[in-house]
Order: sequence, then structure tokens, then C-alpha cells
Amino acid sequence: MLVVIALGFSMAIMISIPAGIMANQKATEQLSANYNAYIGDMEEEINKTLTLIQCSLSRGFAQNRPGFMTTTESFLNETAVNDISAIEGVKDVLPFLEKTEGTLQTRETPRGTFEMLVPEYTIVGIPLNDAYIDNYGVLPKDVTEGRNLEEGDSGVVLLSLNNTEYFGVGVEDRVNILGSYFTVIGVYETSDRLGLRKLYMDISDAQSVTNLEGQISRIDVYAEDQSYVGEIVSEISSLYPEFYLTTYEERLSQIERMSGMYETTLENAEATLGQTQAVAYQEIAVAIVATSLIVLFTMLYTVRERTQEIGVLKAIGFSNWSVMSQFMLEGVFMSLIAAVVGISIASIGAPVLSSLLLPSATSSPTSGMQGRQTFIPGLSLQTAAAAPDLQLMLLTLGAAVLLGALGALYPAWRASRTSPMEALRHE
Amino acid sequence: MSDLVLATEKLDKVYKLKGRQVRALSDVNLQIKKGDFISIMGPSGSGKTTLLNVLGCLDKPTYGKVILDGVDVTKVPEKGLFKMRKYKVGFVFQTFNLMPYLNAIENVELPMEGTKKPRSERKKRAHDLLSMVGLAERKDHRPSRLSAGEQQRVAIARALANNPAIVLADEPTGNLDTKAKSEIVRLLGKLNIDQGTTIVMVTHDSHMAARASRMLFLNDGKLLAKEKQGTHLLKKEFTCPYCGKEIEPDDTFCPRCGKKL
Repeated sequence: MLVVIALGFSMAIMISIPAGIMANQKATEQLSANYNAYIGDMEEEINKTLTLIQCSLSRGFAQNRPGFMTTTESFLNETAVNDISAIEGVKDVLPFLEKTEGTLQTRETPRGTFEMLVPEYTIVGIPLNDAYIDNYGVLPKDVTEGRNLEEGDSGVVLLSLNNTEYFGVGVEDRVNILGSYFTVIGVYETSDRLGLRKLYMDISDAQSVTNLEGQISRIDVYAEDQSYVGEIVSEISSLYPEFYLTTYEERLSQIERMSGMYETTLENAEATLGQTQAVAYQEIAVAIVATSLIVLFTMLYTVRERTQEIGVLKAIGFSNWSVMSQFMLEGVFMSLIAAVVGISIASIGAPVLSSLLLPSATSSPTSGMQGRQTFIPGLSLQTAAAAPDLQLMLLTLGAAVLLGALGALYPAWRASRTSPMEALRHE
Repeated sequence: MSDLVLATEKLDKVYKLKGRQVRALSDVNLQIKKGDFISIMGPSGSGKTTLLNVLGCLDKPTYGKVILDGVDVTKVPEKGLFKMRKYKVGFVFQTFNLMPYLNAIENVELPMEGTKKPRSERKKRAHDLLSMVGLAERKDHRPSRLSAGEQQRVAIARALANNPAIVLADEPTGNLDTKAKSEIVRLLGKLNIDQGTTIVMVTHDSHMAARASRMLFLNDGKLLAKEKQGTHLLKKEFTCPYCGKEIEPDDTFCPRCGKKL
């Protein structure tokens, strides 16, 4: 019994480690794909907006590190829109209100406790003006159900597909957002790789529902021509020195910085993964050797204990081969039972076992990070949950048969070679 | 010649024990006919067990021939000997040597494993054999739940499983109390008379040895020339001539009618 449990553990290790590695690998691959797509999207967006100057009170996508952004959401007064419109060379001024609703979570990390906003959905208030909608692509394009927002819409909302799941509503249903009811006018397929659920509505609806009357979070200023951008920036800066302004060049360099940061993270993750794999191979090798040795010694002991029985079997006409195969079968059977035990242990304890045995591939928050962080689901390397799949389990059963046979080979051979006379005399 | 089941010619067996040569058997010439019930007696170390091992194909003689059921065993290669043991010989041991994890009927079936007999036939044969030794109702009991005498009866049934040419019993009564001893010897005698089973029994108990039809004596590995007739001759001697009740061969008074036999 003890032997079976010991064997079971050794097999559980054999399963858990590959499971852990596979999970980590998958997580890294997913992360890499997400990063690349995200950067691609951003670059594409930036290239389209050469004449755009974004004004806000915060740095927008100021990121402390990949996967988290500081969301000191701050709002500015709407009156700025009129002031900026009056500047020479300004073509259009678009106010936006974006507010993320979510729950605050406290995360315990080895480096301290952080309060983090886990976003649930983001309300995006848009100036519903046909000219803006047509020229600046302020609304999502791929509406799959119902219709898109239009000029003059009020009391209606455009939901992302993942939002319909979150709220449990569909087109033409009424949805309760922060205590007010809106009609779902349409649903769009989200291309948001960060997994943030965005819902679009008229800006004045957004202001009233979020209790931010007369306030906006961002102003998009479009110049007549790219040559006006510099002048407009200095004009706005003198009017509103507290504004943080970004132009095409700045946004591009920002995205490059971000891209660099992501790449470092990925490289780190891959390096850790490499180390992890090296450790894992060693551990698997140890587990395999341990399994065979346990079978070997158990069977040797068994053969010794049952010498007389072997003598009797031979005396009543069992051939060497049938004695040997009987002990081989016993070894294989023992290791098969152990494999089943091992699989059971692993299916419950794989995450624990693999995290115990493998160096962690997850990046933990860097020190010195303060304030409230928003966790971006798609861009963080999360603790990969190791779960053994069916293929791995079958592989283990196969390995059990093989290792059981291997371990039992010598003891069974010894049993078959026992002289019946000697064996019968054995006490 | 045809009714000779077992014959040995100039059998020698020499062991090396701690660098010293020990001659366990020396020039043993033995002829056993079909239906014989032979007891071999001799003091400890006289080579009784060695002789039995050689006869039962567990051991090879250093010199000489063993002809078992017409086959010269000494010419059979080591790898083929198991077949002789399986089909020609049935062993009964002093310590019974039943498999503790098998019940009575499974123990009897064991030698039939690997034979061409279908499973149902094996089961039936094992059941018949257990009935013959009087243990049909105890077939599902494991050895630990059987008395010593019962265990030895199961072992005898096991020895008969493949209908061997000869049954070799090595001190079959050595571990039994007096009552069980006579039971076992009676059973062996009955098998010999009813089924014609050829039996060679090694013992140092002269009382038990006397129940065989022939008594042979072994001393220092040599078969002595003197031979004795045993009391076990005919079936009628097992019943009281006055009342017909079954009696022990060595009873002097009938246990039922009390008359002197």
C-alpha cells in the first residue's frame, strides 16, 4: 500500500511537471500573440491620425509595466471644447467621456499589498454627430446585430458582444446601467484584444448616468492640416497648462516604448520558461528512475519473500517463462495501480505540485508600484493553471506499464532462475 | 517392462558442501511398477529427500539414469523438465505448500494452468478431486481456514490434478497429529487401491511406512537389499470382517463391535 502511494506520487510528479510546462508555454504563447496584435492595432490607429492632438488630464496609457495601467481617472470641464474650437487651424474638437466601472480587489503579492481595479465594463460617451462619425471613426465598425448609433440617438446604447454576456441582454432589451435603463440598439463584435468591455452611448447620456455633468475625460482636437499641429499644441498649452497633450509623434514613440517593454517581459518569460524546462527534465528523469527503482526493490523483496512459493510453482510444473511472466505481470499491475493513484493525485494537485517543483514563470508586480492599478486581462502573464490532459494521462499509463515491466524484469528473471529444490528448502 | 512407471539405474548424486564432497545417493537401482505404494524409510541425512527430488525431476543425478513413464529424464534438457513435473509427477510436501492467497479449489486448479483443458473442465476436475479427498464443501476456504490434515488433503488433490504417472510424497505426515496422520495415510492407501495411483512416500515414521505395500530402506545414500511387505495389501483389510465397518489398518480391535481383529 505504502509502495503504491510512493509510486503514485512519483507518477504524479511525472504528470504534473509536463502539465505545468505545457500550461506555462500556452500562457506565454497567448501573451505573445496578444502583445503583437495589440501593438499592431495601436500603430494602425496612430498612422490614421496624423492631425490628431489628444488632450487629457492624465497621461492616458501611462503604464508602469505591461498589464497594468494607472487609472487616476480625471475629468476636465466641457467649456474647454469651445475655447479650443476658437483656435486658428482647428478643424474639429470632439469631447469624449470614458469611465471604467469595476470592482476593487486587493492583491497580495510577495512585494506587498496592492489595490487593483478589475474592470467590468467601460462607458464611452461619444458626440453623436454624423460628420464626426463618418470622418473620425469614433464608433465601432463591425456591428453584427441591430444598428449602430446615429446622430440624435438618446437613451440607447451599443454593446460589445462580450457585454451582452456580462449583462445578459440582447438587441432591443432594456439594460440597467448604474441605475438608469437604456435600450440596446445594437451589438458589435469586439476587436478589443484587451478584453475590456466597452459600451457606447451619447455623451450627454454618459455624463448623466455617471454623474459627471459638464465633464469629459478627453478631447480629440483635429487640425486642418498637419502643419498647424505645432501651433495648436502651444496655443492649448498656454490656455490649459495642466493638460497633457499627445501628438502623432508622441503617440508613436509611446507605443514604441510600450512595445519595447512588452518584448522585455516576453523575453523574461521565455527565459524563465527555458530554465523551468531544464529543471523539469531533471525532475522527470529523477521521477522515472525513482519509479523503476521502487518497482525493482519491491519486486526483489517480493521474490525473496515468496521463494518457497516459487519452488512450489516450479515443482508442480510451472515453466521458467510462466514464473517470470507472473512476476512481470505483478510488477506491471502494481505500477498501473500506482499510475491510477498518480493520475488522481495529479488531477487534484497538479497546480500545487508543479508550482512547488518548478521555478515560477509568472512575473510579479515590480516594487515601488503605488496607487491604484488597473489589471488588463489580456496583457498579463498569469499563473498558468497546470491541468493534465487526457493525452498526458494515457502517456502516463503507457509509461507505467513500461517502467513496471522494466523494474520487474530483473526480479522476475531471478525468480524464474530459482532452483525449485533450493526454493523449497527456503524458509 | 510395460508396467514399470519409474526405474533408476546406478543412480549417483554428489553434492559439494563447504568444499567437501557429500555422496547423497550411491548406486541406487529402483523399479516401481504401476499401482505400487512404496514407502522409503531411513534416518535423517540418508538421502531420502534427495532421491525423491531426483525422481521428481527437481534435481538431476550426477550419474545414472532415471526413466519416468518410459522417458529418460536425464536426457531431457533443463528447459523441458517442467513438462515432466507438470504431467508425470505429483508432489506432496511435508509443509503442504498451498498458495495462501488461493482457496482450496483454486489451489487444486493451479497445476492445470497452462494445460489445454478448458476452464470449465479444470474446475470440474478440481471439484471432483476435492470430493474424492472429502473436502467438497470446503472448496472456497483458504488454507489458513483449514486444519493441517485438511490442507494436506487439498495438497494431495492438487498432486493428482494432471493425472500424474506417480505421486511423490515427502514426509506427508511429518507435520500432522496422530489422527490426521492416519487419515492421510488411509487416503493415500485408498487412492492406491481405488484409483491405482502409484505412490512413493518418504517417511521416517515406521508406523506410517508399514501401511505401504512395499517398504524400502535407505542408508547413507544406499538402498538396502532388505525389503519388507507392508500391512496395506487389499481393500478388505480396511473393513472389520465381523461387522463390515471401516477400520484403521493398525486397529487391533474393531471400534464398533469391539471384536479382536
